[in-house]
Amino acid sequence: MSDRITLALRSPLERALDADAISPDRFATLGSREISALPLWDGRNSVELGEVFTVKGERSQTVVLEGDLAKLNGVGTMMSGGTLEISGSIGNAVGARMRGGTIRVQGSAGDDAGSAMSGGSLIIAGDARDRVGGALQGASKGVTGGDIIVRGSAGRECGARMRRGILYCSSVGAGAGLGMIAGNVIVSGAIGDGAGIGNKRGTIVALGGIAVPPTYAYACTYRPPHLSLMLLYLRSRYALSMDDAQLHGLYKRYSGDLAEIGKGEILEWQATS
Amino acid sequence: MEIRGVQIDDTFAEAFGMRGVRIIITAKNQKWARESANKLTGFATSVIACKCEAAIERELAPSETPDGRPGISVLLFTMDSDSLPKRVIERIGQTVLTCPTTACFDGLPDLPDRIAIGKPLRTFGDGYQASKMIGGQRYWRVPVMEGEFLIQETFGKAKGVGGGNFLILAESADAALDAAGAAVDAMAGTPGVILPFPGGIVRSGSKVGAKKYKGMIASTNDAFAPTLRAIAPTSLPAGVNSVLEIVLDGLDFRSIAKAMQTGIDAACREGVRSITAGNYGGKLGPYHFHLRKIMSGDLDDAPKADAPKPAAPK
Repeated sequence: MSDRITLALRSPLERALDADAISPDRFATLGSREISALPLWDGRNSVELGEVFTVKGERSQTVVLEGDLAKLNGVGTMMSGGTLEISGSIGNAVGARMRGGTIRVQGSAGDDAGSAMSGGSLIIAGDARDRVGGALQGASKGVTGGDIIVRGSAGRECGARMRRGILYCSSVGAGAGLGMIAGNVIVSGAIGDGAGIGNKRGTIVALGGIAVPPTYAYACTYRPPHLSLMLLYLRSRYALSMDDAQLHGLYKRYSGDLAEIGKGEILEWQATS
Repeated sequence: MEIRGVQIDDTFAEAFGMRGVRIIITAKNQKWARESANKLTGFATSVIACKCEAAIERELAPSETPDGRPGISVLLFTMDSDSLPKRVIERIGQTVLTCPTTACFDGLPDLPDRIAIGKPLRTFGDGYQASKMIGGQRYWRVPVMEGEFLIQETFGKAKGVGGGNFLILAESADAALDAAGAAVDAMAGTPGVILPFPGGIVRSGSKVGAKKYKGMIASTNDAFAPTLRAIAPTSLPAGVNSVLEIVLDGLDFRSIAKAMQTGIDAACREGVRSITAGNYGGKLGPYHFHLRKIMSGDLDDAPKADAPKPAAPK
């Protein structure tokens, strides 16, 4: 048993590979030979993990991935525990359907990061492309639990069809929180058009301003008590920079989407509060 | 044993198993947290008639509370598990939900035994309430005229200890009150302990039942009543003209023992003849706080059992 398992990329990837076999909880009982024999998929063809990565360590729930992994997709799929450290950028669907544990991406992530996640923490130091914290194609609901932190910017339709959980981004593209059932999308900076369209009970927190869709109606300006709790939780757990004025300040509350059941909300921070 | 000329009797305080919660009330400022806590803990001196015992444990700085606002920690105890949720729900519903700017949180989040508190209270929202999951805990947002009331869905249920006590036997009523006040001040803020009586002090210590009136649960402790010295069997030494009692409830034996040690030491001052304690011969309560052991630094007297026993009067 090792304190960690390190997978170092042997040579730059020329084609995308599906790597849903890479998950700390699955590695916990495997020796290095067994880990090396796990399949990675190039379309219908498989390649052994050991041909792509050098494997150091065995039987550990802490896994470190090294190299330019922007073409490596599906890492941490359905992960239920342990820690996955990714030293650079990663491809699509990192942490998809993740149920527990922690994934830290030091670089950026591709599309569909944390889609349909139900627990654990996915922390992306750089940017994330489209549909971070979104739903699988055709699914009625997306994320049902856990925390997703994108310290950089996120693309389109992040948090779509979210049912529960917290998604924090520095900025987001168009369609954030599309069709949210519940849950929380918190954005510290710019928010693209069409945020919260089709929102049923979800919360979109705009710390940096927002163009409120016409299907939302202003309710009041107040201090949402749950928000100080949530922002304090994010600040203390993920060392996010939030000042006390954001924790305890005034927010405009807009109810919507009124084209839906209207129990969702957009909370827009009032910087002068 | 003597401390600064005050006799410490070779006896013990007999205490009982209780069930309790720690309620964290936060508010815009300490004033409103305390307003709410004062109401919540009102009329909660003894289970004999109040159905629960509650008091403020201590003030909390913003850095100690879940939402980063000033707060107050309250402990509330009942004699059994079944009545605990009812007492907590009715008191929070009437005194925290109603108080401007407050929010209410569980102060024992690590306890696996949970009781639903915010869950039933959410229905005050008449269907407009909403829940939030934050850090694995569910909270309820209840819309109110002021804005929103936030409360945690479940609270941890602790096995506590109720009825720790000591009696201060003094030469005068003033000396007894001064000593009791000094003891309360010294014990203030002890984690895990409350003093549920007014100002932490009881003047009407009681005995089980009554000699004259059938059906009384408790009546005056005539053996310690100085005005009855000449007409009833007395336990008062010569020169004692007034007795006050300190009653303590707590989350565990050691916390109470530590507080008793602090309080008794502070009470040993001029005008006090002796310190004793109330018990029922050791037959009713499983927790025995031996005064001399506590004052010798032995705070770990293990309970004989931790199951709650029937209510005993104070």
